[in-house]
Amino acid sequence: MKFIRVNMSEKTIHVEDVPQDYMGLGGRGLTSIMINAEVPPKCDPLGPENKLFVAPGLLSGSPLPNTSRISIGAKSPLTGTIKESNAGGTVAAALGRLGITAIIIEGQAPEGDLSFLRIDEKGNASLIPAHEYKGMRTYQLVEKILESYGKRTSVLCIGPAGEYKLTAASIQSSDVDGHPCRAAGRGGLGAVMGAKGLKALIVDQRGKNADPIADPEAFKEAVKAVTQIVKADHMNAVVMPQFGTAGLVAPVNSMGAFPSYNARKGVLDGWEEICGERMAEIIKERGGNPTHMGCTQCIIHCSNVFVDKEGKYVTSSLEYETIWATGGMTGIADLDTIARLDNLCDNIGVDTMSTGVAMAVAMDAGYKEFGDAEAAIEMVEEIGQGTEFGRILGNGPAAVGKHFNHDRVPVVKGQSIAAYDPRAMLGHGVTYATSPMGADHTAGNVVGAYLEQMLDPLNPEGQVETSRFLQIAMAAFDTMGQCFMADVALLSPEGFEAFGKVIGAKLGTQLGPDDFPHALGVRVLKAEKEFNRRAGFTKEDDRLPRFYYEEPLPPHNTVFVISDEELDSTFDF
Amino acid sequence: MKVRVKLFGTYSQRFPGYQHSQGIEVDIPEGATVKDLLAFLEISESQGAVVIVEGRVLKADDKVRWGVPVNVLQAIHGG
Repeated sequence: MKFIRVNMSEKTIHVEDVPQDYMGLGGRGLTSIMINAEVPPKCDPLGPENKLFVAPGLLSGSPLPNTSRISIGAKSPLTGTIKESNAGGTVAAALGRLGITAIIIEGQAPEGDLSFLRIDEKGNASLIPAHEYKGMRTYQLVEKILESYGKRTSVLCIGPAGEYKLTAASIQSSDVDGHPCRAAGRGGLGAVMGAKGLKALIVDQRGKNADPIADPEAFKEAVKAVTQIVKADHMNAVVMPQFGTAGLVAPVNSMGAFPSYNARKGVLDGWEEICGERMAEIIKERGGNPTHMGCTQCIIHCSNVFVDKEGKYVTSSLEYETIWATGGMTGIADLDTIARLDNLCDNIGVDTMSTGVAMAVAMDAGYKEFGDAEAAIEMVEEIGQGTEFGRILGNGPAAVGKHFNHDRVPVVKGQSIAAYDPRAMLGHGVTYATSPMGADHTAGNVVGAYLEQMLDPLNPEGQVETSRFLQIAMAAFDTMGQCFMADVALLSPEGFEAFGKVIGAKLGTQLGPDDFPHALGVRVLKAEKEFNRRAGFTKEDDRLPRFYYEEPLPPHNTVFVISDEELDSTFDF
Repeated sequence: MKVRVKLFGTYSQRFPGYQHSQGIEVDIPEGATVKDLLAFLEISESQGAVVIVEGRVLKADDKVRWGVPVNVLQAIHGG
């Protein structure tokens, strides 16, 4: 249990014990509560007062499967709000095995200065000059890092977009194969890392100094119980390993809620060409891998390796949100183009979602035609090249809307919505509007409740309550480092109890029925809302763009009908 | 009553030679419900089946209508 504080202005590193107040926290809970405590809410997100927090979940590096999620937090340059951006890969488990609770990057290196931060097998941190890697794309960068430090190395890094401090810049995370294809994409945290002068965080995976487990026997039993629940879940056992998250393309289009052509329609023409079923077929025909393990200790295997017609690696993993943003929103119903765009975004280091939506806004404004695959690839290449338009695009959809004076910009607090249109799935509108992160589906994704017929997506009744329940649960699970797929198998009183026993055994305490996820989730959300309030955000910011209230979405031809008062009641705690 | 059904997720794997562009045509009694259709396709409730018609998720007791295409999918909670 230790914090590593790195001051980029002074090039100093201090190791601290974790204060009592932060015990029992990890991941999002820790990054958000620490940001609220340490970052001036009105600071320039790209200035020296902002801090970048990197925290594995409380259970990352423990024997509990599916816990290699890393939380990266800061004040977001995209939204101006607090931000936790969450990624899979290998780094969370690597940090957990070293007993590192958080790394805090402070200050700011002089303009043009670039460093690596390396954590060795013993957990010792050092800053290494990295000028020769300036401007390098992430795949080449990680290849070189693994050549220097060995294959058992995890990397978090930025590409050119982060160095340009573009507000849609991502932080890429290396997967089990050493590809930087997992992303903390949301909120432009790559720009914060770039502003600090940090090109990569390099972590040795061979650590053997994980924090002790208070009651190892009870922990073992509790892990067994949770694992059984996750394995018995039909989605995790059957659907995810075959189609991954791309399995959502069919249901969401079938429900008329797949925002297409910059959210002008709820069904994409030709969506069956880019659905998970078709993707799996193509991958199998070409000798790729439709059932891939992307993250350390994963037992679900929702990842895939997409290959081209010659069987050569293009990207991993092709995910639902990327397929939607770069395919649905742009009207490009072609998986080869989408896979190429995914690889380009990962390589340049930009969020696939913000980038896809930014291109869609440009197309909607008449800059290019919807469906123009070549234009889409050229546009993303421009981000990497740092051209004037590339920098506008790399600053996300709101920047593109402003550039073209185009008002159909599907963002909340500056961040793009996700692959569920709030006019046809009302609960997503509640989550987008009220999440302290700006529009963020992972904060409380309601689609499962619709598909399991617990809720009618077009009826306002129950949407706020469901979003609230999920937002609290996700804030708590994101604190533990567990992935979303495993989380959803545990969204029941029995699941919460089983998971509470894992936490209890880890910490040597007995959790009450209200402790997890409710009390923990509320604590995290309160800190996040508090930061945003002090940063100047009010309930008037918890609204969707006007067109969602006015422009009916085909095929249901409905608009967003949750009232402001109802939205404002989402966090009435 | 003949109904055109498109199968998604793993369901199509049960029907050798299934062509997705065509789907399959099933012959079920007039007034058959979603539950009847799933039973005909030998899909049990534990397999997370979702039946969507004209953009709406149907409940087990909802009736399937002649001439209206049906999508049978598997529930997913997010991506």
